[in-house]
Amino acid sequence: MRIELEGVRHVYSPGTPFAVEALKDVSLGVEAGEVLGVIGGTGSGKSTLVQHMNLLLVPTAGRVLVDGEDARSADRADLRRRVGLVFQSPEQALFAPTVEEDVAFAPQRLGLDEEEVRRRVRETLELLGAWYLAARSPFALSGGEKRRVAIAGVLAMGPEVLVLDEPTAGLDPHARSELISLVGRLKASGMTVVFVSHDLDEVAEVADRVCVLEGGEVRAVGPPAVVFYADPSMAPETVRVAAALGGAFPAVGRPVRYRETLSALGRVMGAAP
Amino acid sequence: MTFARGVGQFYPVESPLHALDPRAKVVATAVFVVGLFFVDSAVGFLAAGAITVALVAASRVPLRAFLGLLKPVVFIVALTFLFQVLFLREGPTIFAWGFLQVHEGGLRLGLLLAARILILVTAAGLLTATTAPVALADGMEDLLSPLKRIRFPAHEVAMMMTIALRFIPTLGEEAEKISRAQAARGADFDSGGLVRRARALVPILIPLTVGAFRRADELAEAMESRGYRGGVGRVRYRELRFRARDAVALILTFLAAGAAVLL
Repeated sequence: MRIELEGVRHVYSPGTPFAVEALKDVSLGVEAGEVLGVIGGTGSGKSTLVQHMNLLLVPTAGRVLVDGEDARSADRADLRRRVGLVFQSPEQALFAPTVEEDVAFAPQRLGLDEEEVRRRVRETLELLGAWYLAARSPFALSGGEKRRVAIAGVLAMGPEVLVLDEPTAGLDPHARSELISLVGRLKASGMTVVFVSHDLDEVAEVADRVCVLEGGEVRAVGPPAVVFYADPSMAPETVRVAAALGGAFPAVGRPVRYRETLSALGRVMGAAP
Repeated sequence: MTFARGVGQFYPVESPLHALDPRAKVVATAVFVVGLFFVDSAVGFLAAGAITVALVAASRVPLRAFLGLLKPVVFIVALTFLFQVLFLREGPTIFAWGFLQVHEGGLRLGLLLAARILILVTAAGLLTATTAPVALADGMEDLLSPLKRIRFPAHEVAMMMTIALRFIPTLGEEAEKISRAQAARGADFDSGGLVRRARALVPILIPLTVGAFRRADELAEAMESRGYRGGVGRVRYRELRFRARDAVALILTFLAAGAAVLL
């Protein structure tokens, strides 16, 4: 499925002294099967933006199109199943006595029969390497485990698009790299992923395209290499190093990811006397 | 779904009412509310109502905020009114239809009670809308401090009040966040009967409670790590000052309450 935002503007608490314009005029498409990275600082509108993708927030102005049709006329429940949204700190919404029951919440809402629910719960937990937690209480898990269970709770609906809002915030490096490899596996299975982060390196690692948000406006959209080399101030450290070296050593090329930079540096060092 | 937004919340604009000393406002509200219980004539209620409306206008808080405040009590008001009208059989009959009888005494008392509740809630809302929570708690602490002599923990009570007031919007926001996260998992809060709706709240209430305890723990630790040891020897960053206009406001309130009672 293809999601398109057309001139979306969003104002929180309009008409009160607490009014905040979180999105000014955002137009952005999410193509089927891609990993779209959304980056921006605190208060840039990232979270507000992604909540429009399944209409948890309705735009103050502008439209959200799903496969070319206005999402407002679509069935809300169905839209939310097709676009799975994992909030920031999703572990705060865990509530059931066991992990298995918590993950089963969403598929149960879909009205599936018990066997199908069990199958899905097991499948998703296994995909996330968390099946061994099934009988535990979600409140007794570590931060990384809770995060995986919470993501499983959304994935169990079988969404076509998975939106992850700051999925790596507060995770240790190990849990973080596991999450990034999960995104790779989901993409390989044909899922569209929207990955929100303020960490440039992370986004460079997973994204096919990058959208840079600033002050509620899109500053740049495109493949990471294009966005990062067009304005190095928006690029991760590795890209800056590569860009600086690229002038002197053409062998460095235009790496975007950390690993590419390392191998390019290896080549340069091998070539140097 | 919106939780606890705007209801009883401080509304930060500048107005003569916002500028008053919180102690004056607390005492004035108390006097007004107590006075209201002695009023039992239509003229008295008209006067009290007119004063309230004038104060609401002077507070520069949009009328919408007050209407939001009154929304939850409309049901109680309607119920009280109906009970009085239908079951109090005093005075001449105005209207009779089968077993339904409306008497003048019932109608009168129903209207007075309804007016009393509406004015009361508005007056209380006026206090919280025009007084910052911290100022309100400081005011309460000062007013309660004479009781310290009989070992009443005035500071602790005020601190608990400040924290409670401070966390109402925070918990409201959190409830909204959690309800959105559950909505993203297919939760539906707006359909089905009463029982189904109540059950739909479980996935919100459990994480909210867990979160509240976590926050309380964190806050206690943060306060202790900054050296908080209760009220003994504690000074204030903002000292309250009781000015002439506060005295004037208080005197006016006493006069108005007295007049409303006598009318």
